[in-house]
Formats: sequence, structure tokens, C-alpha cells
Amino acid sequence: MTVKQPMVEERKEGDSSFSLFFQKKNLYKGIGLLAISVFFLLPVLRLVWLSFVDDGSLTLQYYKEVLREPATWNTVQNTLIIVAGSTILALVLGVLFSWIVAYVQLSGKRAMQLFIFLPFIIPSYITTLAWTQFFSASGPVTAVLSWLPGSLEAPNLYSMGGIILLLGISHYPLVYLFTVNVFRKIPRELEEAAATSGLSKKQAFRKVVLPLALPGIASGGLIAFLSNLDNFGIPAFLGTPANIRVLSTYIYEQVVGFGPSAFSRAAVLSVILGIIALLGTVLQWFLLRRSRVNETNRSDSTPRIYLSAGKQKLLEASLWIFLLVTSLMPLITMGALSLISAYGVPFNLENLSLRNYEYVFLTDSKPISALTNSLQLAFFTMLVCLVLGTAMAYLRFKYPDWSTKVAELFMTIPFALPGTVFALCMIFMWLEPVPGWNPGIYGTVWILFIAYATRFLVLQVRGSYTAFLQIDPSMEEAARISGAAGWVKWRRILLPLLFPGILSGALLVFLMALTELTVSSLLWSSGSETIGVVIFGYEQAGYSTYSTAFSTVLVLGILLGGGLFMLLGNIWDRKVLKNK
Amino acid sequence: MIKVTNLTKKYGSFTALHSIDLEIGDGEFIAVLGPSGCGKTTLLKLLAGFMGPTEGTIAMDDLVLASTKRVLPPEKRNIGMVFQSFALWPHMTVAEHVKFPLSYHPNKIKEGKNELQERINRVLKLVGLNELANRYPSELSGGQKQRVALARAIAPLPNLLLMDEPLSALDVELRMEMRKEIQKLHRETKASIVFVTHDQGEALAIADKIVVMNQGRIEQIAPPEVLYTRPETEFVATFVGKCNLVKGQWQNDRFVPAIDLKNVWPDLGVADSFKESGIYPVRPEQFLLMPEKSDGLQGIVSFVQYQGHEIHYTVEVGEESWTIHDSVFASRFNTGDFVGISLKNAPVQKASLVSN
Repeated sequence: MTVKQPMVEERKEGDSSFSLFFQKKNLYKGIGLLAISVFFLLPVLRLVWLSFVDDGSLTLQYYKEVLREPATWNTVQNTLIIVAGSTILALVLGVLFSWIVAYVQLSGKRAMQLFIFLPFIIPSYITTLAWTQFFSASGPVTAVLSWLPGSLEAPNLYSMGGIILLLGISHYPLVYLFTVNVFRKIPRELEEAAATSGLSKKQAFRKVVLPLALPGIASGGLIAFLSNLDNFGIPAFLGTPANIRVLSTYIYEQVVGFGPSAFSRAAVLSVILGIIALLGTVLQWFLLRRSRVNETNRSDSTPRIYLSAGKQKLLEASLWIFLLVTSLMPLITMGALSLISAYGVPFNLENLSLRNYEYVFLTDSKPISALTNSLQLAFFTMLVCLVLGTAMAYLRFKYPDWSTKVAELFMTIPFALPGTVFALCMIFMWLEPVPGWNPGIYGTVWILFIAYATRFLVLQVRGSYTAFLQIDPSMEEAARISGAAGWVKWRRILLPLLFPGILSGALLVFLMALTELTVSSLLWSSGSETIGVVIFGYEQAGYSTYSTAFSTVLVLGILLGGGLFMLLGNIWDRKVLKNK
Repeated sequence: MIKVTNLTKKYGSFTALHSIDLEIGDGEFIAVLGPSGCGKTTLLKLLAGFMGPTEGTIAMDDLVLASTKRVLPPEKRNIGMVFQSFALWPHMTVAEHVKFPLSYHPNKIKEGKNELQERINRVLKLVGLNELANRYPSELSGGQKQRVALARAIAPLPNLLLMDEPLSALDVELRMEMRKEIQKLHRETKASIVFVTHDQGEALAIADKIVVMNQGRIEQIAPPEVLYTRPETEFVATFVGKCNLVKGQWQNDRFVPAIDLKNVWPDLGVADSFKESGIYPVRPEQFLLMPEKSDGLQGIVSFVQYQGHEIHYTVEVGEESWTIHDSVFASRFNTGDFVGISLKNAPVQKASLVSN
């Protein structure tokens, strides 16, 4: 995929369709799309194909086998209950927060947003670990409850309810992200028009605001639904000890169980999981069938509802308590409990030690090598995505025709697929890229690299594309009129303007790759452990104190990195872009 | 001299420009005037080199800038351009904006640093920004941003200066001031200017020659006063002069309106094309309003709008409604009044009124 001179491109568009160049252009498009479908589409097709094949002949045998087992139906039922419950929880929390932040007069909204996003940048398995510590025998919840009269016990997180709670808490930021701007973009005049037509505030909300916000709420709900369905860490950490299986953990168990038909059975379960994901998408489409979104509306973030001083303070206080309890307290508890010498002993001075840290970083060699692996993988994934994703975004921006749209759609597939399903696709694709030829990619760190790059590329494409959209085309045109072409134009004009947007995309890719668990848990091999795999391993072996110590270091690292990024962004904005 | 020959541009099946021919003399100030979608922006983009023509050529002196076979990219053309949105780079100071084309433009300063700095200072002084050389765009007002955009465009002394509705982002007061500023720059730099606008007042005020475009075709090319007083097409008559198109019969140099055959109007300079189609284009200020029961066409006033320096009447005459502007010092009429309408005894306009 080469970047052609745009002017030449546009000129030729008007030419006769029989000219040599036109044919060549279609040739380039064809080659590009073919390459993209090999990497992004073919793996999925091979997975579906494998679920129907046995010894080279078509069969429905695996479907019959899997569908006849009560365990399958039990798992599907668990999955549906958990996904429905957690999606509703995420929707309620997300919509409530976005409505309050968008419309109600509150102080400290920026700080609130940061805390809303905290569960989003901390990987969900670490959040889960933190919550289990929060509710553990030595945690603060038990301590508070023992003070109170009556024999109250901390709720058991290792249950359906616990899984639903953590999925909901981890994914409501997604709903918030999708709805807060939708609320802000609903013109306040519409509410005022409703009021002058005689509707009360409540009626106006129900008849005007809610229908207009529905598209945003529905897309937020779909993303939460897909994330809940996809999540592996939370049901693996909480469900496995309680013998509660959902499809993502069940597929994982099939694959690591290595039965004779493990891969084929896993493929069948993946297809079932894929069908549920598809049903969710259809439901969203059905809800949105008749709604029209006005994209040109300006975002209006001045408050629309003013509370009395007392009520405002009360609301602020309750929001902060909720945010601190759900996002910060569990992490602090985890940090504190990582310092006690053995699991279950009370938290007091004599039990404090750095023994767990000593074991994790000095005695055991795996965490350090996992840290190195993950950092390297994340760095190179980021680099590859940065270059390819930005190039793709530029093509998509410059030539918005069907070919680039289809290319982007293909690139979205690996990210939209549930992680366990995607990992299986990667195995089937790269075990023998051409049937009968095993280049030895599976079983090395390379399969992880390929999987990360294909899964997270779309994040960079979206990030860079948004950055391109935000600069006026006349910026580039003014540079060319002034005589700057090629590299000078990029170096002096485009890159300084694009940098913040591209960088935030790259950092998201880095963060996702660094803490990835779902895909890695199926693709890792001895010597290529990642951070997620090691923490998961400790947890499965019952070494909670080690996993909390490792996780605490990781959380501190992420927070430090996030802080640095925000600082850098602010400096860039002020010093380079001269925004005030 | 810029010579545009048979220039056609198609987007798919849509033709944005229909074989345009145009000559721009050295140092000439040309306004391209037309409603949105008339092809004026396409013409400008073709002159700049952001795209190539479907047919035809553009040549500057003896150099072919664009043909169907070869398009010289904008960075290699000896041009400058002022954008509608100013297109200032947020990360560069005012001085850096001026320095940028001086470093990369085909006319870049090849001599030493002193010459470069001297030219930057001279350009900044010309647009009155020497005090603000180290400011960033976010620290400038709208008018100052406009001056930076102008400075950047003229700095390398291009042969051709393109302006894409440069004043439309400014408020009315500032627009008047910047018109003068642009006229001054034109005098000082002696560059040919192509100024695209949809505001007929702006085009009349500023240009040596106006090109009126409509639906991808050139309607008329003429100096402002000729264009205003002797329009040649219905579009130019209504778009530029806001004329009422009165139907009737031309008998030699006399016109008889179809509504009332008793009236005979003299020819005050109507183009032959209108005489052939039996139309008299009358500008709102050419009508004379008279009290009830006087001679002339009979009409009834349906709207009265007070404008300060004049009064705009809408008068129903037969099946049609005409717009008539009258002085505030003339006798007034109210809604519902019956009036007589005739032509003011204006001097006869001839094509040779303004030398070309």
C-alpha cells in the first residue's frame, strides 16, 4: 500500500475507465484488500470451517456432540444470565453518570471523569484481584462489618452476583464514554421547546431527551454487552473456584484440556459464542432502526440543571464516595494486603513485610521475564500498529471509498471477536498458515506478537483517523502552496498537529498489549509468558499474595505512565500547539 | 499572463466546469463571482493545482501548468493562496508563517540569513504586523489572523495570488477595512489576483474585472460598472444588479411592457441579448414611483421596508411583483397604496462607459 500523490489520483478519477492507470489502481486496491483479508478475515473463516470438518470430510458430528451435553447448556445459561445482569448494571451506572456529568451543575467534573476511567485503564483481572482483597477476611469490609451489631458477613464475590458486579463496574466507563457526548449534543432548545409546549421536566426527559439519547445508549450498551461476553479474567478469577463456567472460560478449559477433539469442540463453542455476539448486534440494530442521529449538533457542556448549594454538595459527596469505593479503595487494599506476610493473617504492623515482593522479583524468575516479554511485545506491537495504523488511517481519510471502508471493517473483526475465540482463530491460522506447512510460529513469542498486532491495529487506525479528521485540509494545502511537499510537509506541518491524537492511539495499543490476558492465556508457551499469564498462574495456584504484589507494581506503573502521558499532552498543547 | 483554455472538470458524471476560457493579465485583479456550487471553487483549485482538469489547459506565460497529461503540483507553481478559514498553523509564530514559504516556495530566498530576515520584516510591515511577529495564531484577533494569511501568501512574491472567499470569516466592519488592505497589497506587489467571492458588493468594490459564473459556465466577463449597468444575461442581471425582468416588446430602441401597452420606455443601455428575448432588465433604483392616478404602469404596494438610506417597496403589477428602491427624500407610500410606475430619466449607458 503506497501513498500516491492525491492530485494525480483525483485527476485520473475523471479519466476513461479503460486507461492503464485506472486498471492499476484497482489492482493495488485488490492486492491491498487481499493481504488484509488474509490477516484479518481468513483466520475467522478457518475457525468456522474447522468446526464442520473431521479428518478432511464435512460433518456435523462435533455440533451434535457438544449440543447434546448438559454442560454446554448450563454454560450458555450462565453466560446469558451474567452478561444480561452485568450489561444492565453497566448501562444503569454509565447512563446515570453521563447524564449527571453532562447536565447537572457540579464542581470537579474533570477529576470525576478521571476516576470514572480508572477501572477502564486498569486491566479487569487486576480490578478483580483488588476486589477480592477488599472483601477478604483481612480486608476493610469485613473489619467494618464486624464492628456493626449482628453477625453480618462480607458478600461472597466468588458467585454469579460477584461476577456480575465486577463486570458491571469494569465496563460502565464504556457506556459513559458513549453516552456523555450524546447527552451534551442534544440541543438545550429542544428541552426548552418541550417546556414551552407545556411538558414538565420529567415528561420532557422521557419524551425528548431519552429518545434522542437512545442511539448513544444503545451503542454503549452493545459495547458493554460485547465486553461482558468477551471478558475472560473476571469469570476465570471468580467463577473457576466456584465452579461457575461461562463460554469464554469453557472454551479456555477445552483448549488447555487438550483432548483428542479439543480444538474442534472449542471451535463449535466459539461459533455459539459468536452467534450470541451477533444476536446482540442485531438487537441493537433493531432498536436503532428508526432513530435518526443529527451529527452536526455542537457539544454543549454548560450545565442545564442547577441544584441548591446543599443538594449539590450532597450529590457531589455521594458521587465521590461511590467513585472512591469502587475504583480507588480496592486498589489501595490490594497494595496494603500485598505487604502482609501470609494470606489470611490480620493486617497489623508485625505482619508487614516485603517478603512477597522479594519472592516475586528476586526468587521467582518468571515475573521478571514476563515483564520483559510483555514490555517488548507491547512496544513492538505499538510500533507496528503506529506505522501501519496511521498509514491505513491516512488512506481512509484521503480516499474514503468502499475499498478503504471494507479494509477497516476487516481490521475491526479481530478486536470485535471475543478474545478466546480470536486466540483460537490465531492458532488455526498460524499453526499451519498453508495446510501441511508448519513454520513453527505457534509455540513461540511470534504468535503472541502477530495476535496482538492484528487484534489492536484497529485502535490505532481509529485514533489516527480521528486525528486526521481534526485537522483542516487547508492546513496541508497551505503548506503545499508555500512550496512544502513530501517529507517537509509531514515534518513541519502535519506531524506536529497529528502527534497528540496518534500518540494517544499508540499508548492505548501499548497499554492493551501490556496487560492482555485472554488471548495470551491460550497462546503463551514456556519462555513467552506475559504479565497477565503469570498473575493468572499465581492466582490459579492459590498464591494470592504474590499476585497482589505483582499487580500492585503494575498498577503503580500504569498510573505513573498515565500521569506522564497527561502531563506530556498538556505540555504539547501549550508549548507546541499554543492552545490556551 | 495566465491563459485558461477550454477548461473542463468532471466529478464522475457531474460536470463542475464546462469548457471555461479565461485570460488573466499581469497585475490584473479579477473577482470570480457566483452562488455556491457555481464552480468558482473548482476553478480556484484547478488554478492552485490541488487537482487536474478533465479537459483543457492552464498556462502561465509560456509554461503549461496543467493539461490532461501533466499537472504541475501546487508546491512547484509560482503562486500564493489565502484560504477562507485562514489555515494558519497553530504551532508557528507570525514570523514563522512568513518565513515558511520563503524557505520552500519556488521563489525562496536563496541569499543569506540577513536577506531572509529583511524580507520577513518588510512583509510584516506591509501588513502591519511587525509588532506581533512572535505571537501565535491563538493570540491573534480575526483581522490579525487574516493579515498573517495575506503575509504568508505574498511573502515569496508569487506571480498569481489566489483568494478563496478570504473575507467571509470576518464581521462586516472588518470586511470593509480588509478590502482596502487587499487593494493596497495589490498596488504594492503588482501580482495578478484571482479573488473568489459570492458577495456581489465585494466583487464590484474591489476588482478590475469580474467573472460571473453560474452552473459551471461563465456568464459574463466585464469591469464592475459595465457588468452592473449593462448585464448581458438574465442571471447576471438578477444576481449582480437585482434587476426586475420586465417582459414586453422591443421596437427599435423603444420598449413596450406587455402589461400596459400605453407605456413606452427609452433604451437606457440594454444588451442585445435582452432585446432579442423581449425583456427589459430594470434595477430597483431605476424605477420612478408616482402617486395614484398618475401615468405609467399601475401597481399596488404590498410591502414597505425602511432601510435608513432608502426605502424598499414591493409593488404588485399585474401578475408580477417588482422590487423598487426609492430615496427617503422622495414622497412616501404605504402598504395598500395605488401607485404609478415609470422609469427614471437616467443617462443612457453605453458599453464604452468604462474603457477595458
